[in-house]
Amino acid sequence: MPDTVWTIAALLSAELGMAWLAQAMDVHWRQVRGDAPRPVSRALRPLGYAALIAALVLCLLANTATMAVLVWMMLLAVSAVSVAFVLSWRPRLLAWTWP
Amino acid sequence: MFANFRLSLTWLHTWFGLVLGFVLMVAFFFGSMSVFDREIDRWSLPETRIAAQPMPSFDHILAQRFAQMTEPEAEQRAAAEKRVTQPLPAQLTASNWNAYTTHRDPVLLTYVGFAVPHSTLPDDTIYAEQTIDPRDGHALHRDQLALGSGFFYPMHFSLHLEWHDIGYWIVGLSAMAMLAALVSGVVMHRKIFREFFTFRPERNPLRSTLDLHNLTGVVALPFHFLWALSGALIFVGIYFPVVGAMMQPVVEAHEHEEALHSGLDHDPSGKPGTLASVDAMVAVAKAHWAGKGMPGEVGFLSVNHVGNSNAYVSIYRDSTDRVASAEGLHFAGATGKVLFEDPPDGPVTTVNAFLVGMHLQQFRHWTLRWLIFIGGIVSCICIATGFIFFVEKRKTVHARQGRAGSRWVDALAVTTVTGMIAATLFVLVANRVLPESLADRDLWQKSAFWGAWLVLLLHAMWRSSALREARRSKAWAEQTWIIAALALAAPLLNALTTGDHLGKTLSAGYWPVAGVDLMLLLTAGIAFVTARRLQRSTTTDDLPVAQEPEHA
Repeated sequence: MPDTVWTIAALLSAELGMAWLAQAMDVHWRQVRGDAPRPVSRALRPLGYAALIAALVLCLLANTATMAVLVWMMLLAVSAVSVAFVLSWRPRLLAWTWP
Repeated sequence: MFANFRLSLTWLHTWFGLVLGFVLMVAFFFGSMSVFDREIDRWSLPETRIAAQPMPSFDHILAQRFAQMTEPEAEQRAAAEKRVTQPLPAQLTASNWNAYTTHRDPVLLTYVGFAVPHSTLPDDTIYAEQTIDPRDGHALHRDQLALGSGFFYPMHFSLHLEWHDIGYWIVGLSAMAMLAALVSGVVMHRKIFREFFTFRPERNPLRSTLDLHNLTGVVALPFHFLWALSGALIFVGIYFPVVGAMMQPVVEAHEHEEALHSGLDHDPSGKPGTLASVDAMVAVAKAHWAGKGMPGEVGFLSVNHVGNSNAYVSIYRDSTDRVASAEGLHFAGATGKVLFEDPPDGPVTTVNAFLVGMHLQQFRHWTLRWLIFIGGIVSCICIATGFIFFVEKRKTVHARQGRAGSRWVDALAVTTVTGMIAATLFVLVANRVLPESLADRDLWQKSAFWGAWLVLLLHAMWRSSALREARRSKAWAEQTWIIAALALAAPLLNALTTGDHLGKTLSAGYWPVAGVDLMLLLTAGIAFVTARRLQRSTTTDDLPVAQEPEHA
């Protein structure tokens, strides 16, 4: 059971990381926030990458190393696609990921 | 020839992608199906809808079963008769007994190898095969078709083109072409990072199709790359048998050297011998694995040099917790003593075993299994949007110039996208509708698949005449309706003919059948929504291209 918890945490971390990386770009920030100013723009990108690394660590907690790398790689793809689709259809949802 | 590097790569990507893309579509779609091959097997063979079983007792069940398997398959024997220098004896003697199962199999595959004497091929062996119920050892019907592992899986790597193994060559060539398409695609893409998350469905069809093609191509790039590469690797042995043939003396010398080192004889002794309790050897193997901190069940068991004094038994662990498959433990048949344990792999073999294991997925990891399935579907969307972009980009010019290129590409795209899904669903329906007592029921099912696909090809070709006026072919919408209807019919027919409706399978927690039914219903739902949108946009003809339906 804890393996499942780690895997879900890894998925959430990957989604968050991709959401932050997207919002680090002007065009997507505007899609999510409209014209709201971006006071912490510099932090989003490193935080995004950090969340992706955290997802890898969480995958390693749940799996043997060879499995973990595969799970992580696939989670990155799934989270990137889902963030792109949210940006296309419900961009404002991503506002939740940043105060 | 081309003004610059990027243009020449664009040419490569367009034309290689188009021609071999149709093959890749088949390989990726049926590859995705094969991720759940054992589950589709359960759906298509109601008599095997039981829980997965471990390897049964050899002494009580398998030994009797193997003793009854005295005749190799008739077609294998007929083929062997053409490559011997002296006539084959009426009765061949069994040289090895094998049993194979995985953690997802309720049934057990058993096969017996017969050495072919006086053959022109080295180590020539032909086989008898039988799937059995491991609980009591009774043989399952032979003309049953396991749709997942027996039809969709071979389709994935051979297209069922058996003549001179040409299917393998085509699929392998396409895997190589895919690697080239990926590299050229990355070079062509001007804004790979800036448009990483970009999909604009509201823009014109050309733009939004390209967005989806780029998105699905880029975010799953490691998946596309690793799967095309590992797929190509698996068949290197099949593509280059010439190495084996030319180097035969070296290979044989190496095998004898290895035999000397491991104590596992390469050739039978010719002296009769008895077999000690194999169950006792299995117990030793399990204790050995537990001692190494990796307890597990037996996945593959084989007895070599059957009936000879130097017979040996090889026992391999069912590798559920590792990507690469596990090493084997080998016992002397006469005494049951451990002869040899396969050493850990060297670095090159380890990488190879990882890539092959990743591609074949015998491990127990449902999250990863689903993620790989999703990856396969993402690849299908990437290939399908490539076709649609090709047509969208050219159709107006072609219509004005009276050229038919985009028309035929569109017809083939319909056939390999919606047509292939519909034909796949049709074979599931046929599996439930054809009477159980029908002779050659397996052939009928295969014919149902090919027949349906052919009809859908003709339908797509007929409807593609709309492209002459640069309009969208109605075949897209119509075949999506067919998908919706068939995907709804299949679970209903399953409930009617077997009584295993979703209420029953879900409450019993029998996921192989419940999962297939649920995915079929999901497909029906997605196809219904997509078909309605496609129909609306085909009539008005200026709305954006609708999405590809998901495949189940």
